[in-house]
Amino acid sequence: MVRHARFVAILAAPLLLGASPSGTSTLKGVYTEDQAQAGAQLYATRCAMCHGRLLEGTFETPGLQNRFIVNWSKAPLSELYDYLGRAMPQFAPGSLKPDENAKIVAYLLKANAQPAGAKPLPADTAALKRILLEPVSAKAALKAK
Amino acid sequence: MLRGSLGAAALVGLQACASATKLAQTSAAPPPPLPGKSISLVPLRVSLDQLIDLKCCLRPLRAAGPNLGTEMVRDTLVVHNYGHGGSGWSLSWGSADVALGKALTVFPKEIAVIGCGIIGLTTAVLAQQYGLKVTIYSRDPIQRSRSFRASGSFTPSSRIALAEPAGPAFGDLWEQMARFSWKAFRTCLGLPGKPVEFTESYGLSDTPPQRRVWTPDPAITDSYATKGTPLQHTEFAHLDERIRDIVPQSVALAPEEIPFNVPYATRTSQMHFNFSSYAHMLQSEFFGRGGQYVMRDFATPAQFADLKEKVVIHCTGYAARDLINDQTVIPVRGQTGWLVPQPEANYGVRYKNVSVLSKADGVVVQNNSSTPELGDMLGVGNSMELVNRADTEAALKIIAPVFAPAARQA
Repeated sequence: MVRHARFVAILAAPLLLGASPSGTSTLKGVYTEDQAQAGAQLYATRCAMCHGRLLEGTFETPGLQNRFIVNWSKAPLSELYDYLGRAMPQFAPGSLKPDENAKIVAYLLKANAQPAGAKPLPADTAALKRILLEPVSAKAALKAK
Repeated sequence: MLRGSLGAAALVGLQACASATKLAQTSAAPPPPLPGKSISLVPLRVSLDQLIDLKCCLRPLRAAGPNLGTEMVRDTLVVHNYGHGGSGWSLSWGSADVALGKALTVFPKEIAVIGCGIIGLTTAVLAQQYGLKVTIYSRDPIQRSRSFRASGSFTPSSRIALAEPAGPAFGDLWEQMARFSWKAFRTCLGLPGKPVEFTESYGLSDTPPQRRVWTPDPAITDSYATKGTPLQHTEFAHLDERIRDIVPQSVALAPEEIPFNVPYATRTSQMHFNFSSYAHMLQSEFFGRGGQYVMRDFATPAQFADLKEKVVIHCTGYAARDLINDQTVIPVRGQTGWLVPQPEANYGVRYKNVSVLSKADGVVVQNNSSTPELGDMLGVGNSMELVNRADTEAALKIIAPVFAPAARQA
């Protein structure tokens, strides 16, 4: 029964990735350290005033770790990217340039323990549709220790 | 002045004015009170005949601050949420949010919460609000937990950590939890039964009030680092300054305003929790959302993995010292005496390190007096959980004079 469930999950994975054979996952390293660093600087000036210097959020504003990333996960990364581009920052929605947006997404991935890689995250919705956002689970983080 | 004054607030106010006028003659140029600003209070009855309960508990001081770490017990993810010192009530919502954030990364549909003190029950309810099915496993309901033997004031940095073992980053986490909790408590204000309430609290003294500044005692060369237990007040983390923008601060009263038998007083607005209605509120939400409660105990943490839920939030407070063998949990004994509720006298006073606070669930009396003054060291390392009636009797004797009628009639 368990094996059967896993088999179904494997079959379903390409569907989640937009049926693209070249789809990948955020766990594979889809951004660069430089990009995330640039994203951190943008975050400090465009996002931190609401979401907190340490991404901790408040009672009313979402923190950007753990629960937040879970809520956006198991879906193409393009959904988060498009949302940020469309609706954030709340006081000036739509003001992030595509490359700024990608840098901020890279920073959020880094802040959520996602590994960096060799290639920068593309500032392109179509390309991001092929990247599945998978959170680093507390379980996996413990195994990695 | 107290004679016949119950229920006669106007008379109390007039007599307080008369008394204060005499005091003003010996004080240096106080600002004139605004018309009608004199404070009228019904005096608290702080006599032994009102004593109906004594409670004692052990605050779980953890040197590095609360344990919010994770570990695997066989196939089960355990997220810890214990070790909040004297700040469990005050940080309960924020700490639950941090712990649940970690639990949610494995996409659980259902979780187990171990322990049903204020941390466990709050964590369970917040988990339900986040859409999870929750079962609490606990040997006792909250009414019989150590949490119910606290005093019930908002004190978010009371014995929450030691500064050095907790490290500089702890302040940020603490502030996050404190601010989150404060907002959560705000949503409880005004509810039936007043689970959360603000009252006026008066700091009284015979001498001009001065903020106590603690400096390390040079004669004490050891510390937690060398002895495994703190040895002086200055080793503790004191973080309240970080949230002073939202928490009411004390203001000095002019002599004309002081309705007590002392020359000096400050006033602050203090948030507190009424245990009975607060527990009822949480339990109603928990069971209303379909929560399950299983009465059981655990002998070892290995038994966590025997539960059907594969994500467990561990919230056993002081019991974690034995259950998971966390010897960094240090007992800090605290005792409260409880007088018959006096809703007509809805305020608190502090005098000579004795505090009395009138709440819906009783008038809570705490004796923090000692010679020399110990500050946060009071009760550290003392795991005697039996009550000491003499301690509360002494507290009542210390504080009784501030309500004495003779001087107030003068």
